[in-house]
Amino acid sequence: MTDIQKTIVVTGVGVISPYGIGLDCLQAGMLSGKCCLAPTNDLYPGFAGTTAQVQVQAYELPHPAEGFTSRHSRTDRLAALAARDAVADFDCENSSFRESGVVMASTVAGLTEIDPGIAHDPAAWYRRGGLSRAASYPVARVADAVGEHLGLRGPRCAVSVACASGAMAIALAANMLLDEIAPMILAGGSDALCPFTLSGFNSLQALDPDPCRPFDQKRKGLNLGEGSAVLVLETLAGAAARNAKVLVVLRGWAMTNDAFHPTAPQQQGNGLADCMRRAMEMAEVDCDEIGYVNAHGTGTPLNDIAEVKAYETAFRGRSRPVPVSSTKSYFGHCLGAAGALEAAITITAVRRGALFPTLRLTDPIESPRVDWLRGEVRHQPLPLAMSVSAGFGGSNTALIFGNIRS
Amino acid sequence: MTPTLPTITGIGSVSPYGPLAGLIPPELTAQCPLEPSAITAWKTAGLRRAFLVKPFRPADVVPGLKTRRLDRLSAWALVASSLAIKDAGIDLSQVDRSRVAVVFATSFGCVELTEAFYQSAAANGWSGTDPSTFPETLANAPASHVALFHDLRGPNITVGSKGFAGESALIQAASLLRHGQADLAIVLAGDTLTRAVYEWYEAADLLSPACYNSESLPVADGFVPSEGVTALVLEAAGRCEVRSEAHSYARFRSGCWVAGGQPVEIARQMLCGCVPSLTICAGNGAPCATSPTIGLAREIAGQNAAVVPPQAVAAGLADTGALLHLILALSSRPSSGLALLLGTSLGTSGDSGFAALLLELP
Repeated sequence: MTDIQKTIVVTGVGVISPYGIGLDCLQAGMLSGKCCLAPTNDLYPGFAGTTAQVQVQAYELPHPAEGFTSRHSRTDRLAALAARDAVADFDCENSSFRESGVVMASTVAGLTEIDPGIAHDPAAWYRRGGLSRAASYPVARVADAVGEHLGLRGPRCAVSVACASGAMAIALAANMLLDEIAPMILAGGSDALCPFTLSGFNSLQALDPDPCRPFDQKRKGLNLGEGSAVLVLETLAGAAARNAKVLVVLRGWAMTNDAFHPTAPQQQGNGLADCMRRAMEMAEVDCDEIGYVNAHGTGTPLNDIAEVKAYETAFRGRSRPVPVSSTKSYFGHCLGAAGALEAAITITAVRRGALFPTLRLTDPIESPRVDWLRGEVRHQPLPLAMSVSAGFGGSNTALIFGNIRS
Repeated sequence: MTPTLPTITGIGSVSPYGPLAGLIPPELTAQCPLEPSAITAWKTAGLRRAFLVKPFRPADVVPGLKTRRLDRLSAWALVASSLAIKDAGIDLSQVDRSRVAVVFATSFGCVELTEAFYQSAAANGWSGTDPSTFPETLANAPASHVALFHDLRGPNITVGSKGFAGESALIQAASLLRHGQADLAIVLAGDTLTRAVYEWYEAADLLSPACYNSESLPVADGFVPSEGVTALVLEAAGRCEVRSEAHSYARFRSGCWVAGGQPVEIARQMLCGCVPSLTICAGNGAPCATSPTIGLAREIAGQNAAVVPPQAVAAGLADTGALLHLILALSSRPSSGLALLLGTSLGTSGDSGFAALLLELP
């Protein structure tokens, strides 16, 4: 018997991606096989590579008339837009909506607004107009930007665990709902492209100058992207009380840490495998029941091989290989937003029964337990799917979404 | 004490009082208010003061600890977590470390190395930045170093929340224990003070006159930036009872934080008709003597209630001061019964946030 007070459901999804605004736009782009990765050389002098950018020309980011000022970073604005998209059909005067919490992930936050001029003489940089821009630096600002934009009075929290941030924000929001800390929580992630992160990944030689090839034997690294995704989470009881349309059920979630290395994943993927196992335990599902895994799949040599090992461990008892793809091959790695965007894609997969292939996967890492999705979109009923995220510092998160009948 | 509640069994801190295990000794808290120190780490235009952590060698406090490549925030997180684990009397070799969580609250994260990364970009261009610095600029680097050092493989979470990051971390950690996602959590909260942060406060006109004048008392007139990391060990119900030597500083009953709404109503709901024997005010950067939290505490707990005002050294940590406020109050005001920790924060759009932690004291 389902305990509707303890069943967490998703009732809204908002997305800003390189495809444009909205989940429909994202899924239409991905169903058509469009890749948003493109050569880029204007992000800082000397950089020539491949990224996926949100085309701000396509629409207006929130502006001062809507309370947005120079205090708000590009990351904040992307987050606010995604949140607004997530609740576009909501009755925003509803009291449970007003008491909603916000859990937003970011790794970049306001670094988009800060330049190296701050390093030499901060006070002078602030006098030259940097004061309000620097105010957007704390990662907590992203959650505030969403909460203030929508007039929400519930708890606000930011999560920053590198590339697992967006998924972890969703997991923590689910815990908060179980604790009845808020009646509804907007949870997701947002990150904008900026020289700081591009330069950082470039210095680590982690970037593929060409469009990335996750899980391919010839993979060379990742591409950075930008965007934001926000899910509206509430209990099934809360959703039923306001006659909300339930999109999917968040059946299980788990978080672990590799405790292995500051940047490298544990080679056997033990932490990630344990994370997936715990999420399946919570969801009370057998590994045979997972119909699709949206992988972390960055395209870096170390991540992808460790991740395959993790699948081999987590799905060891499975009767047939598990379908896996990395959708970072469409619009790059959006860092703190990645886990949330991939959760949105996994939700689309469950709702439409559409398993998106990895682009440019011609020579996949060999694994008897993985059914690599490549070529055409595969259409099949999908009761349960998992989204997997990992990040620097060894953080792992797994989310399991199911359709309402699951 | 309710036996089914998570229990705070260990405390460690790296603060302007120094690196300490357990409560802060009375001879240190007796110096109240602690005097700010003159800033010497960078060239200032005249006297500038703050509550600073005096330099120390982490390996002198935690034998074998290697921190040469780390920034101060990560080093302090390692020291504070080690001291808290030691204070709790936990032998980690006897613990399932895949069931130990780390929850870290920070406002500015690894801002020292972020500044260093910008310096390398200023000196060499974005194409010549330092690869060893970049991963350490991430806000979760301290929590991941804690996991790495102690081999803790449970959930590893880094959070921020304007005004209430410390409260939020403790609430999230308790939630992990409550839902069986961990058996034990190391909860940390803290920040480092750098030139860019200090000068931002100064440019935003937030500093107390006590930052410029050694005659002025920080307790009376505003915000003196502070730094440090506080760590708590939070254990699931029933775990600590098997260790005869285990402390039981407090049990976590409930917590909440909101960005708006009716604080008095929310706090009374949490209290369910009980009256706290101690109300601890967490200033979150507000002027200590005139903090709105004190008025709120009186309104909730009554005019004659025992109220601990915000302590300047913890209020200077702004978002991450709650845990230091808590251990300062427990150190200076031994008490039993219910303790309510209240925090307030003025939002940028004029809305006022509020946080409350309800704890049972032994």
